[in-house]
Amino acid sequence: MLIALSFWGASIAVCIVVSLYLCSRIEVSGVRRWGATGKLFRYE
Amino acid sequence: MSISYFVVFGGYLAFLTWTCLKSMKEVESLSDFTTGGHRMGLLLGIGTSVATWVSVASVMGVPGQLYRTGVAAIIGWVAGWFLATAVMPILAYKVRRPELPARTFPEFIRMRFEPFERISGLQLIVAALMLVGYFIFCHLQVVGFGIVFNTITGIQYEYAIFAFLVLLALTSLGGFWSVAATDTLNAVLILIGLAFGTGAILYASGGLGPILDAVATTTAPTNVGGEPLEPGILLSPAGTFGWSVLMGIFMSNALGASVAPHWINRFMAPRNSKAAVLQMMWTVIALIPIFLCLIVIGLGAKALLPSLPADKTTDYIMPLIVQNYAPPFVGALTLIALLAAAVSTANSMLLNCGTSLYYDLYRSLYPDRQFDDERATRHLRYSVLVLGLLSVISAIKPPVLLAMGFTYVYGAFGAAFMWPVWFGLFWKRMNRAGAYAGIIVGVAAFIAAKAMGADNPFVVGAGLSLLATLAGVFLSPAPPREAYEAYFDAEVSPSTRAVALRIRRESDHAHETHGAAPLAGEAKA
Repeated sequence: MLIALSFWGASIAVCIVVSLYLCSRIEVSGVRRWGATGKLFRYE
Repeated sequence: MSISYFVVFGGYLAFLTWTCLKSMKEVESLSDFTTGGHRMGLLLGIGTSVATWVSVASVMGVPGQLYRTGVAAIIGWVAGWFLATAVMPILAYKVRRPELPARTFPEFIRMRFEPFERISGLQLIVAALMLVGYFIFCHLQVVGFGIVFNTITGIQYEYAIFAFLVLLALTSLGGFWSVAATDTLNAVLILIGLAFGTGAILYASGGLGPILDAVATTTAPTNVGGEPLEPGILLSPAGTFGWSVLMGIFMSNALGASVAPHWINRFMAPRNSKAAVLQMMWTVIALIPIFLCLIVIGLGAKALLPSLPADKTTDYIMPLIVQNYAPPFVGALTLIALLAAAVSTANSMLLNCGTSLYYDLYRSLYPDRQFDDERATRHLRYSVLVLGLLSVISAIKPPVLLAMGFTYVYGAFGAAFMWPVWFGLFWKRMNRAGAYAGIIVGVAAFIAAKAMGADNPFVVGAGLSLLATLAGVFLSPAPPREAYEAYFDAEVSPSTRAVALRIRRESDHAHETHGAAPLAGEAKA
């Protein structure tokens, strides 16, 4: 059961880390059309 | 059937009707119908993604697989689909980058690999594959709906599935906005219904401890009169599958689902690249409680009802257990949640099916015919209705279990589209020959491996597709800049911009006058 749940937990963690990294990449790019706003979670 | 079922179902039907009528008035252009005009906000994006994600394969198939194979279903399906969603932000980040994104997945393939072709062979092949795949998906939703509707009303399954047409028409005729709005309500309904259902199961079984104790020791066969289970097998990670088969299912679901065309379509709808990324991140977070509920219900069902009647598949476990062990109002809410899951996924699949048929096949084959927006959306609605009717007729005798049916289609999509999509978005050298080779070899190898009974047809299909893609890329010239520039650079050359506008104009005459407007004034901050 623990092994099965750890597969699931790892998938969730990967999603959050990847998304935050990509948002920070958009912020670094400074391209407004891509959603750069100066704040990590704001998109417009 | 209690009055609670009528009250909850009546309220649900009223909302669907209102949303359909409202959306039909608001849809003005083909872009509105297919992708909501690329202006969807985060909340609606999360709602529609959650509801599309949660289909009958999840709400009925996953508890069914947990009941049959134990916790291995968490690795094969739950973790597999979550991993697919975990990599989706990477694709969303790129797909929504262009100033003028594609409106459908086949059009995206055309813009990336055959931007100068008047009739794109790749667009036609991809649209044909999508038509078949999404028809199967739609068919599976109808099967799930029929099972639930049969359980609620007692109406024979073969007749119950025709009620699906009414709901499908209500949610699909308004196009993308109707689908997105009803999906958001469906997502909320699914969460509430499953939470109540889980509470009822936990109460009936005495809590999580007794459920795990029962699952650890049970030897009861899945169906009455079947072969008894090995004690403890339901809590072992590989369950009744064995690691090789389980990893095949896991990879099909994880890698195949990530490039499923309906998801690529979803990434085109948000306002910008960041909204698309955040949409998938919050979707995963919103899905956690839904899947916790499904896991508890699946395992709890084994504790409460050790074996199913001989004539019922495991897809029936969810409605059976809820109807037998939950109070009437809670049962009604949970079963409506199952209906919502079927409707919300089917309408989205049907929209994909309809746009593949009309927009990517018919209109691409006849680029010189004149289509105005009003006529085009009317034709699209007819396509959606006819396909809906055909999917209902095809579901009269369902051939496969719900969750397995999804795995086959996701596996085929993954084998065909994985390399063209990933390489297309992240490798400038990826070209037209590589895309042709990857798609054709991938889908053919998957079908051949499946027909020959391979344990892991996805690995065979995707592996051969990779070799074919690389051979195609290195044996042919590099692609023109107009094919890849929009996915890599913030500022594109005038020729790239002109190509994107030309493809839009060919597909939608309304953009001849409006197409250039959104581009003006958009520049790097």
